[in-house]
Amino acid sequence: MMSTKVLIADDSETILLLLRTRLEMEGYEVVTATDGVEVVEAVGREAESAPDVLLLDAMMPRKSGIDALRELRAAGVDTPALIVSAHQDETDAGAPTDLDIGGYVTKPIDFDLLFSSITRLTES
Amino acid sequence: MANRLTIGFAIAFAVLTGLAVIGVGRFLQQRQDFEDAVARSYQTEIAARTRFAQGEDRAAAREAILAQEQRRQSLRDDIDDETRDTALLVGAGLIAGLTGAALLFSGLIASMRRPLEELVEASQRLASGDLDARVKVGGLSETATLGSAFNEMASELQRRAGERDQLDRMKDEFVLTASHELRSPLTSVQGFAELLMLEREKLSTKQAETVEVILDNTRHLVRLLNDLLDLARSDAGRLVIKPVPTELAPLVDDAVRTMRSQTEARQQSLSQEVETGLPLVEVDRDRIRQVLVNLLTNAHEYSPQGASIGVTAVLRGAEVEISVSDDGPGMPEDQLEHIFDRFTRGDAGLTQHVGGTGLGLAISKSLVELHGGTIAAEAVLGQGSTFRVRLPAGATGDPVTEPARTEASR
Repeated sequence: MMSTKVLIADDSETILLLLRTRLEMEGYEVVTATDGVEVVEAVGREAESAPDVLLLDAMMPRKSGIDALRELRAAGVDTPALIVSAHQDETDAGAPTDLDIGGYVTKPIDFDLLFSSITRLTES
Repeated sequence: MANRLTIGFAIAFAVLTGLAVIGVGRFLQQRQDFEDAVARSYQTEIAARTRFAQGEDRAAAREAILAQEQRRQSLRDDIDDETRDTALLVGAGLIAGLTGAALLFSGLIASMRRPLEELVEASQRLASGDLDARVKVGGLSETATLGSAFNEMASELQRRAGERDQLDRMKDEFVLTASHELRSPLTSVQGFAELLMLEREKLSTKQAETVEVILDNTRHLVRLLNDLLDLARSDAGRLVIKPVPTELAPLVDDAVRTMRSQTEARQQSLSQEVETGLPLVEVDRDRIRQVLVNLLTNAHEYSPQGASIGVTAVLRGAEVEISVSDDGPGMPEDQLEHIFDRFTRGDAGLTQHVGGTGLGLAISKSLVELHGGTIAAEAVLGQGSTFRVRLPAGATGDPVTEPARTEASR
């Protein structure tokens, strides 16, 4: 069985390292991006082996996770996505309802919750 | 304009008073002349009567006597006329003066009254928080001065209020930004410490303990950040609750379950008793759960090993009362008074481990009040503490936003 491929995007290398380590320990395949522009590029480039789940930080330089997701959805990409935000405020206020966001993950990350969210999104 | 009116009235007074004085003076002179004339008339008559008595030219004497009587009569008539005229003059002067005075005063009062009324109205608006309240400057110089002083004061108040609001916004913004910026490094610290703990068997006991300390402190920092964020939101009037009709029993159960492992670790008993048939409450479940966990955490942390902690929920009239009590060390009176203030913490000397932030009760109070409820504390030194949360029973209403901060609540 092919392992689930997760695209993680965060502007902090340390957070990326943490996420990659934990996700790989759980058996996921991981690709990374450091901003929204790279996210859009990565999803396009990996057309044949596209990620199964997107894990996007809400606030990133150049292009935020929300904006990247908006662009992908407009291009017809329906990959399930989780938004990581520093706190609920970012998502409470102007949470876009039209982007089919699969859930929110707040920092510091509760990994048990993250893994169960990914499982929920990939199994459905 | 009012000043010219005053001067006009003053001149009119002076003229009238002068005329009256002249009139009265002339009358007194006439009176004197009259008395002199009457006296001379009597002398003439006495001389005539003497001539009559002596029998000299009686007819001429009688004529002279009669003539004098007539003359005096005519003098009396004249003086009576004069008296009446003078009395009329003085009376008319008095009436004119009094009328003038009355007119002057009512004019003065009227010219002060409108600006004063306007001042009163503007002061009331200012007092009720309308910092745009100003008055039109005008009228008497005194009311004009008062008016411009009032306007200056109002402008100054407005300026300072603006400065304060700006500082408040900067503070709230700072807390939000700081809390946001601190989260990423904290995520790393906590995440990597957890990573180490996943391979605990590879660590020495000492190393494992060290990592536990890192994790403990990271969790504490996260709690502090969350609490500070809640307070900043509350101060900015941005603490929003989303109340839904809620059954209390599962909520209490949930909070108690969250605390179970911590209380068991210190052999503390944790009981719950929710009255059957309690009405629903309209609450934000996460927030009321947060309040209950806050209260239970306090009971747990301030009570010694083996203590008893209990949660009860009962109906009290139109309210549901949830109490969290413990048989811990209680609190002295002076501490109880400030228990809901920020960064107030009980004397931690009695317990080894108090992990609270000192903000939990302040936040709990804001949250409960946001729900239209009340929170109160009771304690007996050496016998324990009880915190009572009262929430309106029944379900109504839309999402509520906390009213912006008022002085009284600071």
